[in-house]
Amino acid sequence: MIEFTEASVVYPNGFRALDKVSLTIEDGEFVVVVGLSGAGKSTLLRAVNGLVPIVEGSVKVHGQEVVGATAAELRELRSRIGMIFQTFNLVNRATVVSNVMMGRLSKVPRWRSILGMWPAQDKELALQALERVGIVEKTYERASNLSGGQQQRVGIARALAQEPTVILADEPVASLDPVTSHMVMRDLQRINRELNITTLINLHFLDLARQYGKRLIGLRDGKLVYDGDINDVDDDQFREIYGRAITPDDLLEGAEA
Amino acid sequence: MTTSQGSLTPPAMGTSERPEPPIQVAGLVLPLLAAIAAYTLAGLLGSQAILWGLLIGAVTAGFVWWRNFVQEIPWLVAIVVAGPIATSLFSSVLRSRTTVIEKGLSSRASLSWLLFGLVVGLAMSQASRPRLPGIAIAARSMATALAFGLSSFLALQAGTSIGYIEALRGREIDGGAIQFLTTGFYVQAGAILLALGLAAAVALRLRNGVLFAGASAVVMTLVAVNQINFSVKEILSSFTRLGALAGEFWPPDWAWPKTIGQPEAVHIFEPFIETLQIAVIGATLGCIIAVPLAFSASRATAPNYPTYWFSKAFMNVFRTIPDLFWGILFATAVGFGSPFAGALAMIMFSLSIMAKLLSETVDSIDVGPLEAAKSAGARHWQMVQYAAYPQVAPNYVAYALYIFELNIRASVVLGIVGAGGIGRLLDERRNFFQWDQVMAIVMVIFVAVILIEIFSIWVRKKIV
Amino acid sequence: MTVPDLVPDAVSDVPRPKEPQFTKWLRIIIVVGLIIPLLWSATGLEISPSRIWEAPGQIWTLLGGMFPPDWTGTPKTIELILESLYVAWIGTIIGATLSFPLAFLAATNVAPRSVTLPVRSFFSAIRAFPELVLAIMFIPAFGLGPFAGTLAIGLHSIGTLGKLSSEVIEGVDDGPIEAIKASGGTYFQQMRFGVVPQALPTIVAYWLYRFEINIRASAVLGVIGAGGVGAEIVGRLRFRGDWPKAGAVLILTIITVLLIDTASSIIRRRIITGHASSSRPAKWMAALLGANDEPSTEIAEA
Ligand SMILES: Nc1ncnc2c1ncn2[C@@H]1O[C@H](COP(=O)(O)OP(=O)(O)OP(=O)(O)O)[C@@H](O)[C@H]1O
Ligand SMILES: [Mg+2]
Repeated sequence: MIEFTEASVVYPNGFRALDKVSLTIEDGEFVVVVGLSGAGKSTLLRAVNGLVPIVEGSVKVHGQEVVGATAAELRELRSRIGMIFQTFNLVNRATVVSNVMMGRLSKVPRWRSILGMWPAQDKELALQALERVGIVEKTYERASNLSGGQQQRVGIARALAQEPTVILADEPVASLDPVTSHMVMRDLQRINRELNITTLINLHFLDLARQYGKRLIGLRDGKLVYDGDINDVDDDQFREIYGRAITPDDLLEGAEA
Repeated sequence: MTTSQGSLTPPAMGTSERPEPPIQVAGLVLPLLAAIAAYTLAGLLGSQAILWGLLIGAVTAGFVWWRNFVQEIPWLVAIVVAGPIATSLFSSVLRSRTTVIEKGLSSRASLSWLLFGLVVGLAMSQASRPRLPGIAIAARSMATALAFGLSSFLALQAGTSIGYIEALRGREIDGGAIQFLTTGFYVQAGAILLALGLAAAVALRLRNGVLFAGASAVVMTLVAVNQINFSVKEILSSFTRLGALAGEFWPPDWAWPKTIGQPEAVHIFEPFIETLQIAVIGATLGCIIAVPLAFSASRATAPNYPTYWFSKAFMNVFRTIPDLFWGILFATAVGFGSPFAGALAMIMFSLSIMAKLLSETVDSIDVGPLEAAKSAGARHWQMVQYAAYPQVAPNYVAYALYIFELNIRASVVLGIVGAGGIGRLLDERRNFFQWDQVMAIVMVIFVAVILIEIFSIWVRKKIV
Repeated sequence: MTVPDLVPDAVSDVPRPKEPQFTKWLRIIIVVGLIIPLLWSATGLEISPSRIWEAPGQIWTLLGGMFPPDWTGTPKTIELILESLYVAWIGTIIGATLSFPLAFLAATNVAPRSVTLPVRSFFSAIRAFPELVLAIMFIPAFGLGPFAGTLAIGLHSIGTLGKLSSEVIEGVDDGPIEAIKASGGTYFQQMRFGVVPQALPTIVAYWLYRFEINIRASAVLGVIGAGGVGAEIVGRLRFRGDWPKAGAVLILTIITVLLIDTASSIIRRRIITGHASSSRPAKWMAALLGANDEPSTEIAEA
């Protein structure tokens, strides 16, 4: 369970990117976060694993308080939260498997990670993660040799290798073409259903959100402006989130045309 | 908008204002060069201060008019008039000298140019649109005046030293040298002065970096040249001596260890191997130790702020110490003549260069993977090893090879300060003036350095 | 959550690829290839554990001997440091002015192979001689003093700057050159308007960088009597009683070099990144060099 209580994020330059947000996400939920660019979507996600400075309120994940956690507690917490990025954030020069092994770093003893001698069961886990996203045949390729969609699936495999209970996906399909976008979204949906991993996704396109999401969270200027079933969103609520009416630009299919 | 070009300009766009053309560097430099040439010519023709002054004034006035700084006729006239006044003052001060021009005299002479600069500065301030507030006028005028004054001082200093050198070179101080000081020197000093003054003034007016940087470079070169008495003539005249010396250097004496006849005579290759060993140890250990330092000295990968600042300071300070100074220091500390000192020196030398190069590379890595590692719960140094290091690994190898090359070059001379290797031999032979033996050692060094460079280029090509 | 949970039945029958063994072996070879020469060198230099053990104490003794520094010789030291700076500056000027035209002859994209090859070999040949070795050979011809040192540094700089500049010229975009050629421009015009504007910012940055390196080289030259602060350091370290003076010389040298490094690196960064910085000198530099493309800020001198 993820609980935000009146949580605010202020960046070092004084910018308040999240303003007194309160919300609760139950285990196994599939939540889509939408909002204008700069609304604070990425900030909300990064608040969950403590990558941004939360200055007031509280953020709890599985009962562990993120605010004021020690470095060790934070590492332990992060090791249970998988994160997927818009730009994949893979080490391009390294192999696929060594990228996936990054998900195991927190679980192996220090000397093993320094020497690169991974325990057999961690390797097995990485291979299984790659099998789940269907690119096990690329295991020993260089990450940079993969297509965008494949790279994002390596990113998902890296998150899966953590054996996470929560997955945070920050615009995971924004740099992919529509067909690949759907494939990646389906992967995420399947992982959410089959493994019961709580999933938080930032999305830009509304139709994608409708197609795959159940619950929708709308942000505007760092404030929570919508929280409810995705199918209940009407034009007024849309205007509340985006400050304007729906245009074809907000739809993946529309943008394509 | 002229009608002849109307076909090119759609009427709808004709209303938009054209931007001001940017300043053309060549357009500024060429008249400057022309002015210098004219001034030099005038100086060669005779020594009428008034004539020169008129010329300087006219050229300056023409220049500021042409470049659109000053359009008002009264101000242009003022500049033209200020020229001869300045030169007459200048030459009257100079004529008051007894034998040679000393510093005090140059500063007094420079005052006349300060005056000239003030007029030019005032003209440019007054003519600027929109009109400047009083303080800005004062500041700009003073700045221009100072630019002229300062550069004339420097020019005089340069000229003075040239005069001294010529005088010392056998010309009589108050005979031919005076003649030289009054014409040749005057021409040189004046040309430099004009160039610098105009450059500085225009730079101040335009905030143009070309002239500013160029003028600073010229000033620095002039000061440096006359401070160390550098002269091209000297080089040329040395060539004859060089020819005579060639016989001493050539052919290299390869047999000398035997001819000396000492049973324990050092063979040329023994200390050379020692040099190689110093370079290997220095490069390897230095490059390895540099890794944590480099990552600590880059913001994205530093574990914390104090470590960051400490590493950075450490790195920058150590980088200032030249290779041979390390050799001297360690030779003093751990024992003269010991290759161990050389090894330590090369470690410090390699360490400081590698840390600098690598940390600059780390500064430009993609931080995405770092965030990914962090969000997966990795420890700091795990993140560095798995997300940062792979990104810089090829550079690291390339730098290591480059540092090995540098080490070879540096370690051949370490022996000169008693830090082991072939340098000891080089120094010893040099002190005996055995140039043919020095030549033999130099040839060995040459071949070794070339071979290692070829090898290193080959490896670098392989990895990139 | 148990491990097998992750394996979806549907995709588990895709065969897993074999782990390539090559990288494993490469790693072992590299480690061995490093350790053996290291051991060979260590034994050759008679580096024993006891020496390593004693070294920190000995270094500490030296440092302790240099502090607190004795500042009485400061005016003389500053004079010598200035002399080193002059030598480095003129050496750099010589290197820059002579290497600039030569660099065009060494760049394969603007000069024929029959020209580039000898010019490149010439660069490599001068670079192979350390400045100090050059100075040793110049001293008999030009006498003791800064003159021989300046020439040594200048000559060496021609080699290094020539190589770097020709690489910059080779890296320029061919487009502008072809455009000028297409509109009937002469060879000189192609260079002047097609190559120079693209290459100059980086080349000037290299000049400045070379100046930084030359300062270190010229400081060292004093050791063999070719002018500058080096002689002072050697002299002061010879007798224990002089160590505090050596400390002062060392500190003054470090401070000077540090200041120049900082100024030079600020200028270099501005030259290379062009108008990236909004402060005024940066604008000068951008105007100065027409810098708008972005070459690497990395300078690995060779
Ligand atoms: N490190 C930072 N320092 C200062 N301000 C930041 C920082 N990161 C983000 N911001 C600001 O916080 C606000 C919210 O940023 P955030 O990245 O969460 O937006 P977003 O909703 O994810 O937008 P996008 O759709 O463009 O990714 C923005 O106005 C941004 O400028
Ligand atoms: Mg975002």
